[in-house]
Amino acid sequence: MGGMTMELSTVDLAAPAQATEPLTRSAPGEPVLVVEKLTKTFRRPRSFADLVSGQPPRRVHALTEVNLTVRRGETLGIVGESGCGKSTLARCLVRLHRMDSGRVTYDGLDVGGLSGTALRRFNRRVQMVFQDPYGSLNPRMTVRATIAEALSVHRMCARRDMPARIAALMDMVHLPQSAAGRRPHEFSGGQRQRIGIARALALEPDCLIADELVSALDVSVQAQMVNLLLELQERLHLTVLFIAHDLRLVRHLSHRVAVMYLGRVVELAETEALFARPRHPYTRALLEAAPELDPTRRGSTEAALKGELPSPVNPPPGCAFHPRCPAAIERCRVVRPVLAPLSDGRLAACHVAAMEDGIA
Amino acid sequence: MMHDNGGPLLSIRALRTTLATEGGRVTVVDGVDLDVQPGEILGLVGESGSGKSMTLRSILRLIRPPGQVTGQVLWRGRDLVPLREAEMRAIRGREIGMIFQEPMTALNPVLSVGAQILENLAAHTDLGRAARRARAVELLNLVGIPAPAQRVHDFPHQFSGGMRQRAMIAIALASNPTLLLADEPTTALDVTIQDQILKLLQHLRETLGMAVILVTHDLGVVAQSCDRVAVLYAGRVAEYGAVGPVFATPRHAYTLGLLRSVPDARHARQPLRPIAGAPPPPDTVGATCAFMPRCGFATAACAAGRPPLVPAAEGRLSACIHGDRLEATEWAA
Amino acid sequence: MSGAAPTLSEVPDEEVVPRRRRVKISVPLALGIVITLFFLVCAVAPGLIAPYDPLAFDYNNLQVGPRWTHLLGTDNFGRDVLSRIIWAAQVDIQIALFCTVPSLIIGTVIGALVGYYGGITDAIFGRLVDLVITFPFMVLVIAIVAVLGPGLNNVYIAVTAVSWVFYARLVRSEVMVLRQADFAAAGRVMGYSDMRIIFRHLLPNAMIAVVVYWMTDMALDILLGSSLGYLGLGAQPPTAEWGVLVSDGKNFMDTAWWMSVFPGMAIVLCGTGLSLLGDGVADLLAVKR
Repeated sequence: MGGMTMELSTVDLAAPAQATEPLTRSAPGEPVLVVEKLTKTFRRPRSFADLVSGQPPRRVHALTEVNLTVRRGETLGIVGESGCGKSTLARCLVRLHRMDSGRVTYDGLDVGGLSGTALRRFNRRVQMVFQDPYGSLNPRMTVRATIAEALSVHRMCARRDMPARIAALMDMVHLPQSAAGRRPHEFSGGQRQRIGIARALALEPDCLIADELVSALDVSVQAQMVNLLLELQERLHLTVLFIAHDLRLVRHLSHRVAVMYLGRVVELAETEALFARPRHPYTRALLEAAPELDPTRRGSTEAALKGELPSPVNPPPGCAFHPRCPAAIERCRVVRPVLAPLSDGRLAACHVAAMEDGIA
Repeated sequence: MMHDNGGPLLSIRALRTTLATEGGRVTVVDGVDLDVQPGEILGLVGESGSGKSMTLRSILRLIRPPGQVTGQVLWRGRDLVPLREAEMRAIRGREIGMIFQEPMTALNPVLSVGAQILENLAAHTDLGRAARRARAVELLNLVGIPAPAQRVHDFPHQFSGGMRQRAMIAIALASNPTLLLADEPTTALDVTIQDQILKLLQHLRETLGMAVILVTHDLGVVAQSCDRVAVLYAGRVAEYGAVGPVFATPRHAYTLGLLRSVPDARHARQPLRPIAGAPPPPDTVGATCAFMPRCGFATAACAAGRPPLVPAAEGRLSACIHGDRLEATEWAA
Repeated sequence: MSGAAPTLSEVPDEEVVPRRRRVKISVPLALGIVITLFFLVCAVAPGLIAPYDPLAFDYNNLQVGPRWTHLLGTDNFGRDVLSRIIWAAQVDIQIALFCTVPSLIIGTVIGALVGYYGGITDAIFGRLVDLVITFPFMVLVIAIVAVLGPGLNNVYIAVTAVSWVFYARLVRSEVMVLRQADFAAAGRVMGYSDMRIIFRHLLPNAMIAVVVYWMTDMALDILLGSSLGYLGLGAQPPTAEWGVLVSDGKNFMDTAWWMSVFPGMAIVLCGTGLSLLGDGVADLLAVKR
């Protein structure tokens, strides 16, 4: 992998890369982003009572030993409820947060150790689009200025080519050219998200992390964004990490889906396999709880899952899901299950599922 | 729960709500007609700016002056619109309860949850002091709050989002309302907690015979928990009817478009067929069909005037003149 | 729309609804602009406006009250009070700018850096702020001027030494809020340098508060300069300055009140104008999110 880093450092930032041709190193379908045992905790401010009794500062366990592999050119969906750590994961992957321990490699490049120019070069390849369409754009900058800044900082193209490149990027996200001189407040939520995507695409990344990209949008506008994502991925051969809480959207867009619960990945499988036959009890409950669009297929009158998310400050011992799990056995209370392959090759972190398959 | 001669519990006719903004008066509810039958769950569904929450607030006249409500809101045969504020208070929170999207802003942060239930019990029932205390614990138990006898002393900030929503429902139930208005009660909640709250509402409807108007933007929520649905667009009712038939064969182009916007499991990674454009800002629609500019079925006739909400099939109403043409379109083939 | 699924390009997207940008100038803002402009013109070209030479003695008109020939009266040397006020504006506007602009620049830069990076620098800065705000502003400035010696230049140094802290404190708190915004995170993911994020993205959004504070600060510094002039620590005679004018006239309050009252009113009017301007500009600059 040392050779890979060497090769990377020879990439000339000023070279005009084609939008349609990503800086591909690994072949499509090969693992490109590998996350191993990624752990992230946040310190909570110490309360006065803690200070007096001499307790150490408490920590929120946002991510605990997360393992993930993203393949080049695929869309990996990440679902989970609030507090499951999916946004923290996204922010760790683009180095907005420093990880506590574990390893993230992108195309063989150790992301955790990057700094300065190397980090900037990495950021060019892995871009992120944010959830809040109202907060992710500088309210004082026009669309043109926002995109031009990205182009000029990374010297993506010659100054004289910039207007044409800006126009092309706006066209790519279906923003009319007349929008170039406007500021964010003149746009609707969906259009702001398009601006955010255009800004990210200005750097010609080969991986796009979409953190709840459409959650704040109306249903009809959501569908337009889904189409845009599909189109862009096809045109630019993007690897996409689609993070959302909406199961329908994740199912529609993703090749594979990772389900997260309380800072851990509990199941990772091909989309169809996961939705057709969820193996982790949490996945099952999540699917059952999501309201289906067909009124003739109503779920039971009982709620799919009882209780609420445990505190991430003191996660339960053993399997984090066991206090709410209808299938929990004694072992679940004591031993923490690791994410391991089941008989059909999918990954799940569940003692019961492993036993069913005769693995554990 | 029996009501006068089986008619609707609540009957709204030509409801119009205007708000005063910097740019002048804006109509946010533009002539809404709705009926709510006793014990049914009616879904009000629409995108932002469709006037669904404003319709709900207008029923209880929770519109601050200089905002104005006109039209007719017949509550068990009595029109609420001309009532004086004092008379309105006797109905608001007693016969008609209401819960909101964000319980934290609707609950009083400096009073314990128990105190807020007791307050409502004291205002709307003639129970004695001890009976009220017992009833408060009973209500918390009814809405599924574990260890209610202890938690009755807790303050709203000690509750999680889902528990707060349960507490708010308990407060609303204190007065035994016949109708509960729920304004996006699950939008801020996670999907498993949303599921719990929706199941709770259905359970309460079964056991207490209470009718519910459920405002939501999620078609799935409507499909799973409502009996009837009214689809709102630009402050008007586009379509109204029983949930099954409306979802199976929409009679309004907007309903069809909404259903098509939702990804369908059978067509993974295929382009969706969304409605073009975005919902219009309030009060920018003229005397035409409000949906016409975004509609794939629109013809010159749609611009001729505002289409009335007319019977489209058995028990269904639609404000689309091309309802029959939609019939031929399979939306989820 | 019926039949087979459309290709991607077939479905049109949301349109951009053009919105008219209305710049509404409110009455207070208009008033602020007029007053501030008036004093600026006085400062730039006093000779054009002032009816008399501010230094010309006129022994035929000693201490005459307001009348058509001398709208605001004359002083004990027969000098026209209106002309002296107009000429003094030059000094006072200079005080307003020289006391504030250096503090504004230094404070904004330091505040932005401290607010963005936080940590140990922020802790040190916090102690410094505590130290400065423990002393009354005036006392601290007078103490420094006393050490450096009287004179306007030393006043500027003294005021800057103290008041940059207030700008820095203001900018720090604004930047601390703004750095949490997603567009700051977006900037980092875009690979922008910290300096670019701080000075190009965060600071422009923090400047409204700074501009408003700057306007009121200018008004206060005119008062301060006048006070110091009155005490003999600021502008030295024969430089005409409003505070000095008030001070000169104080001994004649019972016989020639106009000598003190009108310069005093000039101070008040100028301060009011700047405050109105500050509030109005803040409203104009406020961007919708």
